[in-house]
Amino acid sequence: MDPAIQTDHLTKHYGDVIAVDDLSLRVHRGEIYAFLGLNGAGKTTTIRMLLGMIKPMRGEARVLGKRILPGEQGPWGAVGYLVERPYAYPELTVRENLEVVRRLRPGVEPQAVARIIERLGLGEYADRRAGTLSQGNAQRLGLAKALLHDPALLLLDEPANGLDPAGIVEIRRLLTGLAHEQGVTVFLSSHILGEVSRIADRIGIIHRGRLLRELDAAGLERERHRRLAIRARDPGATLVVLAGAGYPTELHPGGLIEVRDPAALTRPDDVATLLVNAGHAPTMLHVEEEALEQYFLRLVGADPEGDA
Amino acid sequence: MSAVGRAAGIELLKARRSRMPMFTLLAFSLAPLAGGFFMVILKDPELARRLGMISAKAQIVAGSADWPTYLGVMGQATAMGGMILFSFIASWVFGREYADHTVKDLLALPTPRRAIVLAKFVVVTGWAVALTTLIYLLALGVGAAVGLPSAPAGTFGQATATLAVTAALTLLLVPPVAFVASSGHGYLPPMGFAILMLILAQIVAATGWGEYFPWAVPALYAGMAGPAYAHMGLVSYALVILTGLAGLVGTLLWWKRADQMQ
Repeated sequence: MDPAIQTDHLTKHYGDVIAVDDLSLRVHRGEIYAFLGLNGAGKTTTIRMLLGMIKPMRGEARVLGKRILPGEQGPWGAVGYLVERPYAYPELTVRENLEVVRRLRPGVEPQAVARIIERLGLGEYADRRAGTLSQGNAQRLGLAKALLHDPALLLLDEPANGLDPAGIVEIRRLLTGLAHEQGVTVFLSSHILGEVSRIADRIGIIHRGRLLRELDAAGLERERHRRLAIRARDPGATLVVLAGAGYPTELHPGGLIEVRDPAALTRPDDVATLLVNAGHAPTMLHVEEEALEQYFLRLVGADPEGDA
Repeated sequence: MSAVGRAAGIELLKARRSRMPMFTLLAFSLAPLAGGFFMVILKDPELARRLGMISAKAQIVAGSADWPTYLGVMGQATAMGGMILFSFIASWVFGREYADHTVKDLLALPTPRRAIVLAKFVVVTGWAVALTTLIYLLALGVGAAVGLPSAPAGTFGQATATLAVTAALTLLLVPPVAFVASSGHGYLPPMGFAILMLILAQIVAATGWGEYFPWAVPALYAGMAGPAYAHMGLVSYALVILTGLAGLVGTLLWWKRADQMQ
C-alpha cells in the first residue's frame, strides 16, 4: 500500500530564504508522525505544500497515493487539516461554521455536525458566535472542522496550541484513539518535543528546511544523552578511583563528576560499590537523562547551555 | 445541487449574518433620497430658501423637477455610487477571506476552488442586482412622494433600460476589484483600486477619451457628461466586457495557481 504521505526532494525557497530544502519523507498509513521544528523551520510550508496551497520549486508530494498539484483536485475528501492558527467566520456560530464546512464537503451527513460538537466538547458554545470564543475553544473548533468528515488522514499544524493542560490530554487521547483504533494517519507539527514524544510513533526533526533526523520512540531514547552524576566529599580522590577502574570521567565546576561510560550507566551500583570499597562513598549518585527539549536544541544546534 | 450552488448558499449565509447588506442598502438609498431632495428644491427654489432647506446664497443648477431629470440623476448615481458600492461588496466577499484568515479553509476541499470563486461572483452579482432594484423602487416611491408631474409615455421604460444597462456595465467592472482583493489579501487594496479608477475615469473623461477607459463608460452611458457623450461605439462596451473577463479569469487563476500563504 502507498504511504499516506510521500515527499521526494520537496524544496521551496522565498528569494534567499530557504523554507524547505530537499525534504523526502514517508508517513505510513495509520501512524502518528510528528514533525518537529523551531518556529520558521519549514513545518507550515511543508503542510501547505502537502495541501496544494503552495507550489514546490522542486520535488513532489503524494498524499494518499495522489500526486499533489497546486490548485488541482487532490484527495481532499479523505483529508482533514488545520493550518497554523485556527480561524472561523466570526459572525457565524460554532454550529454554522461547521455547517459551512459540511456543505463544502458533499456527502457528509447533517448529523456529523452535532456529533463533532459533542466529541470536541463544544456543546456549550454551539450557538455562540465564533468571534467570541476563547483561544482554546477556537482551537477546538479548528480541530472539529478537520475531523468533521471522519478523514483517513489528518494534517494538523500545532494542534495543541492554546489548549489548557486538560485539553491537551484530551486531544492527545483523541488522536491516539483515531490512529490506533480507527487507522487514521495523523501528521502533526509541533515545536514541543515533550508533547509529541507522548503520542508520536515516529518523529521527524526539521531545521532550516532540512530533515535532520527521523526516529521512533526507542531511537529517541537511544539518542538522548545520559550521564552518571556523582558527588563525593573528595572529588579529586574519587576521580582517581574511577579512572583507575577504567571509567572516563569529567569534573564540572562545583565538584560534580560526570561519567558517560555505558557500563557505568547500566550498572551504577557497581560504581557505588567501587567507591565505597575505596573509602570514597558518594554523597550523591544519580543517572540523569537529557531532557527532551535539551536533546532537541542540541540536535538543531540551538542549545545555549551546551550539553546536559 | 452543483458545487457552485452549494458554495453560493454558503456565501449567502455569510452575507446574511453580516451587517453588510444593511450597510450597502443604507448607503445606496442616499441616492434616491438626495435626488428627491433636489427635486423638491428645483420645484420651488424660493420656498426651499424660506424653509431654510438651502442657503440664500445657493446657486441652483439648471434642471427641472420632472421624472426624466430625476431618473437621469438616478442612472448617474448608479454609475458612480454603484461603482463604489459594488466594489465594496466584492472587496468584502473576496477580501474578507484573507482579512479573516479563513481562505486556507477553502483551498483543500472536495468543492473545487473555481466553484467557490464563481459562487462569490454569483452572490456579488445577485447582491448588486437586488440592491439596484430596491433603490430603483425606492426612487420611484420618492419621486411619487415629492409629487413630480406625470411623465410622458415611455419615460419609465427608457429610464429602466438605461439604469439596467448602467448597472450591468458597472457590475462588469467588479471582477478586477475581486482580483485585487484576492491578490492584495484584504479589503483596503481593492477599495483603493476602485477609488483610483473612479478618479482616473473623471480625468480621462475630462480629456475626451472616456469612451476608451472602461471605468468611465458606465457614467458616460448614464449621461453624466451630457446626452452627446452617452452614445458610444461598440468598442467602449467591448472594452468593459473584456475588462470584466480579464478580472474573472485573473481571479480564478489567482485562487488556483498562486501560493496561498495567508
